[in-house]
Amino acid sequence: MIGATVLDPGTASMIMFGVFFALLALRVPVAFALGLACLPIFIIEERLTPQNLVQETFNAYNSFILLAVPFFLLTANLMNVGGITTRLVRLSRDLVGHFPGGLAQVNVVLSLFFAGISGSSTADAASQSKIFIEAQRKEGYHDSFSVAITAVSAVLAVIVPPSILMIVWGGLLTVSIGGLFLAGIVPGVLIALVQMGTVHVYAKLRNYPTYPRATLVETIKAIGVAIPALMTPVIIIGGKIFGWFTATESACIAVLYAAALTMLVYREMDWKGLHHALLETGRLTGVALFCVGTASAFGWLLAYYQIPKALLENVVTWGMGPIATGFFIAGVFLVVGCILDAIPAIVIVGTVLEPLAKSVGLDPIHFAMIGIVSLAFGLVTPPYGLCLMIAAHIAGMRVVDALKDVFIMLIPMFGVLALVIMWPQLVLFLPRLFPPGTL
Amino acid sequence: MLRKITFWYGQLLTWLLAASVAILIFPVSLQIFSRYTALIPSYIWTEEMARFFFIWSIMLGAMVGIREGTHFMVDLWPPLQGRARSALRLVAAVFVLVFALVFLWWGIDFTRFAFNRISELAELPLWYIHLPWPLAGVTWVLFLGEQMWDDLKVLATG
Repeated sequence: MIGATVLDPGTASMIMFGVFFALLALRVPVAFALGLACLPIFIIEERLTPQNLVQETFNAYNSFILLAVPFFLLTANLMNVGGITTRLVRLSRDLVGHFPGGLAQVNVVLSLFFAGISGSSTADAASQSKIFIEAQRKEGYHDSFSVAITAVSAVLAVIVPPSILMIVWGGLLTVSIGGLFLAGIVPGVLIALVQMGTVHVYAKLRNYPTYPRATLVETIKAIGVAIPALMTPVIIIGGKIFGWFTATESACIAVLYAAALTMLVYREMDWKGLHHALLETGRLTGVALFCVGTASAFGWLLAYYQIPKALLENVVTWGMGPIATGFFIAGVFLVVGCILDAIPAIVIVGTVLEPLAKSVGLDPIHFAMIGIVSLAFGLVTPPYGLCLMIAAHIAGMRVVDALKDVFIMLIPMFGVLALVIMWPQLVLFLPRLFPPGTL
Repeated sequence: MLRKITFWYGQLLTWLLAASVAILIFPVSLQIFSRYTALIPSYIWTEEMARFFFIWSIMLGAMVGIREGTHFMVDLWPPLQGRARSALRLVAAVFVLVFALVFLWWGIDFTRFAFNRISELAELPLWYIHLPWPLAGVTWVLFLGEQMWDDLKVLATG
């Protein structure tokens, strides 16, 4: 295609990124800024018209894979209005409430349970901010700590299976989604553990309160009540791995299961709650996925000028080994994750970096996990850290005021990311238990 | 009067949004269960129907998002008040308006193209799912117009 274009790739990318950042600074919503950044190019290039913008957004939405997004959001919303979340809080409290900083420990463990059922960090951040921030404030936790721990624990939702990011990544770059689900378990649990460690240290230093230890009977009772809910990840992941249903269908199963639990087992769902859950799902689906559409148009234009290829040719000449490349990939995703939402970032950057990862022999699942974990961290890094923005908004404080604690909590999490990069077996051993071709 | 119309139109859109999300579950469930029981015939149109409603729910959500101001943005500005706030909002709104007009203008062509075409499996008219683009354009112009009017008033009166 090069040669037949009016603009050379350098000028085109300068226009696109220039317009994009200028509009972001003027507080134009990200989705619209991405689309408008493409507009001058569509007008200047003779072979393109703004019709392409319409067509590319349409192509992005006309996808059975992305359909998993509203389903996972709906699952999370049903859990909240239907009493599943309350039961999981009860269980988490019986399990870890007696550790130093009991309520904050419960916050982390609940995120882990939640992550196993829903695949959306934003849903996790929204619901847990409502549960924990006010409660932690009452028990004397500092606000910035409460906002930070709620936001950083919410990122578990996209690392622990099921995960929207894994489904999008798998669908876009043709990696086994079942394999990604299995690969996410170990890093997810490790991140939860280091977060609990961080809470422990904070609690010791600042004398945060703790709960009396629950009796064995209480704990067993809480497990019994929560077991139907805890079965969800088993059904979803198992169903995906054994090929009972596709990734999107597994998300639909999660919705049906959560609906059945809340209506038949826990019996806490009413029509008002249902309508609320559906509407909230629609709202978040709309704004999150609309952004994916315009990001796809943006990514499509970058590919049209072969800009990614030009950038990568440079990087390949550095001659990095697999580990250095892994760190490089993580760095790129961390930076991009600061300014873009995770799904558009996969659309634009994931496809760009794939050949690089392949050239140094990174396993596709390993590459995906480096990308997904890095992008998950991007959910709490400013200026565009959605989970942090949600938690700060609900707490009624400015994002900047929580930043110090967020970065302190991120340090041990970066340790886990480094471990994932340097020790591929950490993520690969679970998927490799299954013979190739079955996932 | 106009405000009443935009209000009820906004209400209508949120209802349609909730409904389209609810409907999404139906074809996908059907698709799963028909595979495992002989009672339900496995229809081939389930996947297509799911995508149709999915497109509508995204676009309806994006329309509602402008009215409610929930589209994600990167906020680098200190909290602003009064005129300064309205001025900045107006600048951003002008750009979104340009985007809305692009969707309206080229969306009409996009929909007209599809008038005589039908989908592959269910053989539904394709313009059903192209329509959300021009519709989003009109809707955004309407909602933005209302917001810009308010901001202009603040700018004028302080």
